[in-house]
Amino acid sequence: MLRHVTRKAAGWLLMIVVATNATYFLASWFLDPRSNFKELRPVRSEAQIDRALAPYNLDPTVPLVHRWWDWFTSVTLHFDWGKSPTGVSVNGEVGYRALISAELVVVATVLSVVIGVALGVYTAARQYGWADRVSQAVSIVVFNVPTSVAALAVVFVAIWLNQHAGLHFLYVAGENSPDVEGLLPTIGDRLLHLILPTLTLTLMGYVGYHLTQRSLLLDTLHADFVRTAQATGLTRGQAIRRHALRAALIPTAASVAFSIPAIFTGAVITETVFGWNGMGRYFIQTISKNDVHGTVATAAFAAALTAIGAILADIATVFLDPRVRVS
Amino acid sequence: MTTNASTNAPANASAEPVPRAAGSTRKRTSLGLGRLYLRRFLRNRLAVVGVVIFALLVLFAALGSRFTSRTYTDADFTALTQQPSARHWFGTNQGGNDIYACAVHGLQRSLTIAVSVSVLTIVVAAIIGSGAAYFGGRVERVTLAVIHFLLIVPSFLILALVSHRLAGDWRVLIVVLTVFGWMSTARVIWSVSTSLRERDYVKAAEFMGVGPLRIILRHIIPNLGSLLIVNLTLGVVATVLSETALSFLGFGVQTPDVSLGTMLADGAGTVTSAPWLFAFPAGLVVLLTVSMTFIGDGLRDALDPTSVTGSAGGRR
Repeated sequence: MLRHVTRKAAGWLLMIVVATNATYFLASWFLDPRSNFKELRPVRSEAQIDRALAPYNLDPTVPLVHRWWDWFTSVTLHFDWGKSPTGVSVNGEVGYRALISAELVVVATVLSVVIGVALGVYTAARQYGWADRVSQAVSIVVFNVPTSVAALAVVFVAIWLNQHAGLHFLYVAGENSPDVEGLLPTIGDRLLHLILPTLTLTLMGYVGYHLTQRSLLLDTLHADFVRTAQATGLTRGQAIRRHALRAALIPTAASVAFSIPAIFTGAVITETVFGWNGMGRYFIQTISKNDVHGTVATAAFAAALTAIGAILADIATVFLDPRVRVS
Repeated sequence: MTTNASTNAPANASAEPVPRAAGSTRKRTSLGLGRLYLRRFLRNRLAVVGVVIFALLVLFAALGSRFTSRTYTDADFTALTQQPSARHWFGTNQGGNDIYACAVHGLQRSLTIAVSVSVLTIVVAAIIGSGAAYFGGRVERVTLAVIHFLLIVPSFLILALVSHRLAGDWRVLIVVLTVFGWMSTARVIWSVSTSLRERDYVKAAEFMGVGPLRIILRHIIPNLGSLLIVNLTLGVVATVLSETALSFLGFGVQTPDVSLGTMLADGAGTVTSAPWLFAFPAGLVVLLTVSMTFIGDGLRDALDPTSVTGSAGGRR
């Protein structure tokens, strides 16, 4: 079992390395830091621009392979992700942003899985009941709403609630208030700011789990082994929980890894709407400022999140699926 | 009579390419099949609602500009950020652009992008997916590895990166969205094709010396028909969602051109002070995606009565 997980983890590590390096080349081809200098007055000559970029390993006259090798060695040896075209260290920028985004993505993913699976199980056990029909209809509509629309709708409702119900704890902008001091108030303040973005991301995330878990469980509910379990004297609820659900959870666990890129995409949009200084917003800023190193660091962060999710999914699969433990 | 026909349907569908000589009977059964599919589709009330909504949206996009003299680029400087009124049916934005004209053009743009991307995606995915399944061995392993890699890499980031430089032009956006959008469909098609490659008619064609390309195009892909059609409609939904997301962030369609995504981005800052800027494009997007999903579900039930669950999993 440990061997299975380590082998998978090694595969994911390789995936991160390949993805990050591929992004480096893509970013170097598609982002042109020289264009940042085009609007500056007095007009800089090509040579001046190249010289300005040289200290940050962005000089376009140096062959791309050389730049890549310098970047690659500095990342692997010193974990230094390079500098932006204006000389700001990427490590310093990414450090606190990564925490903010990870908080958002992790909480939203966990909530999505828990709510989605619970709803899927509840509705599958009551197929075609009113709860099933209502939640199915709601989920199909939510499934089709773009994240940007959902986020803005949440903002709209929150502002309306704040105005009409006199609430003061729904924050629609930023990840913390500037004037809060002390440990406990800071934590409380951050949690309050977390509510709405997390709500948006969870709304976008739970739907997939609800719909797939419902149909997966419906497939196993009528399987012979569930009927046998009930014949041995288990109640229907016990048979569903211990036998049907266990089999139906395996594909769900595997799909968590594939859903994290989508959650991260959602995070890019929610961070934009809610004005969070997380990795998602950083990514947009780095792209529009032609910051090759910052873009690559964001991609590496997203790949790392995916890999962590995938490894957790593999561990869950090992516990759920005896076939993996045997072979 | 209905039960009889529905039990015959899958057998007819899978045997379709084989009978060459019996031309007249084949024509009649395929006509009957078409009518059967239509009847099954019409029985699904949500699917009919979806078709009606979608048809209205297409009509709106095609003919909506006839009811107004303004175009999406015209600015009415006497009416900035005006509420919906008789003069401007959907109101105006900060620059005085008529939201009705913008919505017609934006819907046109989003529809064109969505339909062409999903058609292109299906073509690419069908060829790659069924090709990987048919050839098997090393080709299959390498293709699957590439597909899995691209599925795991946050393709949205790469999409944003590439389209930042190239986009602004919606035709380029179509190419970019296709290049990074075929993987999950290709994977579904691959998994279905793996059973098709063992079928007798594929073996028979092989023994007769038919080349691999011809087998894939004439024997495997036609038998994926229902799957392809269903995925085509779901592809429209997926494309609308990613186009809106990209344009919302400023990486997709760019000003002066207008799509539903850019309109959402324009309205984002004024959700409470000028909600109509955001409400009309949001409503159109949701109507478009929901109607396409209803149509897709109806088609799946109509074309493939054995499929209960289908693939509702993939979403980027």
